[in-house]
Amino acid sequence: MSAEAITDYNARGDDEFRSQVRAFIEARYPEDLRFLPRRVRMSEIRGWWDTLAEKGWIAPNWPREWGGMGLEAGKMVIYLEEMERHGVARAADQGITQVGPIIMKYGTDAQKDYFLPRTRTGEIIWSQGYSEPNAGSDLANLQTSAVIDGDEFVINGQKIWTTLAHDSTHIYLLVRTDQAAKKQKGISFLLVDVKTPGITIRPIRNIAGHEEFCEVFFDDVRVPRDTLVGNLNEGWTIAKALLGFERLNIGSPRRPQYALMRLEMLARAKGLFEDAGFVDRFVAIKLDLEDLASLYSRYVEQVKRGEPLGQDVSSLKIWAMEAWQRLTDLLVETGAEDGVIEGAHDIEGVEIDFLNPFYYARPGTIYGGSSEIQRNILSKYVLQLPS
Amino acid sequence: MSSEHATLLKDSVTDFVTRGTDIARVRALRGTAGEYDRKLWRQMAELGWLGIAIPESHGGMGLGLTETAIVAEGLARALTPEPYTACAVLAAGALAASDNEALKSEMLPRIASGELLLALAWQEQAGALDSNQIALQAVPFEGGYRLNGTKRYVVGVAGADAYLVAGRSDAGLVLACVERDAAGVSADLQPLADGRHFGTLTFRDAVVPRERVAATGASAGAALARALDHATAIASAELYGVLSRALEMSVDYMKTRVQFGKPIGSFQALQHRAVDLYIQQQLASATLEESLRELDSDPAPQARAAIASRLKARCSDAGVRVTREAIQIHGAIGFTDEYDAGLYLKRALVLAAWLGNGAQHRRRYAALTLKKEG
Repeated sequence: MSAEAITDYNARGDDEFRSQVRAFIEARYPEDLRFLPRRVRMSEIRGWWDTLAEKGWIAPNWPREWGGMGLEAGKMVIYLEEMERHGVARAADQGITQVGPIIMKYGTDAQKDYFLPRTRTGEIIWSQGYSEPNAGSDLANLQTSAVIDGDEFVINGQKIWTTLAHDSTHIYLLVRTDQAAKKQKGISFLLVDVKTPGITIRPIRNIAGHEEFCEVFFDDVRVPRDTLVGNLNEGWTIAKALLGFERLNIGSPRRPQYALMRLEMLARAKGLFEDAGFVDRFVAIKLDLEDLASLYSRYVEQVKRGEPLGQDVSSLKIWAMEAWQRLTDLLVETGAEDGVIEGAHDIEGVEIDFLNPFYYARPGTIYGGSSEIQRNILSKYVLQLPS
Repeated sequence: MSSEHATLLKDSVTDFVTRGTDIARVRALRGTAGEYDRKLWRQMAELGWLGIAIPESHGGMGLGLTETAIVAEGLARALTPEPYTACAVLAAGALAASDNEALKSEMLPRIASGELLLALAWQEQAGALDSNQIALQAVPFEGGYRLNGTKRYVVGVAGADAYLVAGRSDAGLVLACVERDAAGVSADLQPLADGRHFGTLTFRDAVVPRERVAATGASAGAALARALDHATAIASAELYGVLSRALEMSVDYMKTRVQFGKPIGSFQALQHRAVDLYIQQQLASATLEESLRELDSDPAPQARAAIASRLKARCSDAGVRVTREAIQIHGAIGFTDEYDAGLYLKRALVLAAWLGNGAQHRRRYAALTLKKEG
């Protein structure tokens, strides 16, 4: 472990910390991977992972005893903001952001000792096995079963929309371990090696033409009992623990920056700011994003004060994702015929890709709880409307 | 101001509104030539609110827009018809930013005490957002200026004691104080959707003595621009107050109104509609808070104008949308004059249009922020 890993970053001033993170990213992040309008594959990003791991910066949210940076919430936001500002691609980081913290909180000592160091170095790469063909928004309806047989679980079923499963070495699973219990009650949380016999991973091509998510099939897959995290039938509570911060992160106003920058450059090159009709629509969306930034920074301040995020943070996710879509809709429309030509091309001296940002903005209103589910949450918990 | 003081101020506004005004009073005053109540105006003065932004040296409290917005929002929630923003922010702000110290020393304390209700007469064309289109003639003579022309869309005229008038001379803008009953001045009232009025003021050789001139040239232009941006921000706070109350009324109604054997708030179509209004309220709230903080740090004029436009664009559109949909959520009862939802819609319509609606402010924002790199 390098000397950096035991540094107390929280003791530093915000500005100092920010400029340190910024300088490191600018010096070391590969230029050709900036602002990718798709999920990056592990083969492309492995070098950057190693750079961060070596620096002791791969796990900003982990405590220092496990080789993380131990950042408090305010510093964490700065770290993420700087990554986004530079257009750093998100690696298959669910081991760091999701399952790592879950293992720390609910795992056995043996699980911690085995998984945490390997997850940090990238020897183990995780994918998230939650959704199923009949358990999307209604996740608690999941049917993949794990039946106890001696010292083993026998898993049968299918997961789907498993992001970057084909890059992963392990998958964390929600499985049904009690068929009789009501929905949420009979679910357990398992850590499974994807090389286990009986597991088949099949990539799914998305509308952007990329193979980012997968189907994962389980056919009499036998795994040891010690793959269970926490208690049997308490997997739902474990999985739910990290959702608030995810909605804040998804709601960051920087995500649509690539599309906004390109649209502005294109509009300038084509003289569209002389066109009152275009200006009206462009500014409406630009202000939707500016106002999103105001709402976002309000939540960031809340996190910095150490206050927990309430269910109202769903409004941030809805607005961020829907505004992002409106922006990319306008981008394609502004391109006219050029807007439907695949790939990056040169328009009046501006290098621009119309379709990839448009495609990439589509699933934002679906993943992480669809916009409709977020509206249900706000209706129930914030407006307290009856069901 | 600390959050503790902000809470105290908020409580005192709530307390005042609870005791001093109600919807019956609002309804009784609508459409009357008097429009508002000078007794209530005096009470507001006693609480310090009319001088909230006037410097302490001139009898005010010398507080910022953040505090002013708390008062304006609270008054607007109760649909108070008194011209708080028009007088205490727009007119008093323009005068306070002027450079005739003697005139300020005489008038500002009287504004703060509620004795003098001043209205700012600057606008002539519908949709104007700045002083460019001001054409009212201010012709200098030895003793002062002679004013000729017409001012429109003046808020607060019904009971105003004097007007601060923006005219144009060969040497640029002139901001001059004219008493309501001065020779050559006449006022007409146009009824507004919300029961208040826009005043149209006509000046025919109205004489302004030199000592009643508040500012001229660049300093008049700067004073006016500053007051307009500040009033635009406070009108946005009023819109936020109106839409917040309308949203509460709608959500409450959804919990109690029963159809098909269930509260209508249990229907997903209505739930999602209400949530979208809530999101607009959240955006307006966050933008308001951030904009007021930025404006209180006294940014340069161009940045200040962009902040005010961004804020008014959001609050105007959110205000009209929430109050318009409040009618739909309430159903037929919402369309009756007897029910209050319509009063909220009408106030939002007027506040949205006054000092520029969403579409106009987005265009101004574009002109302020996009052209400079071109």
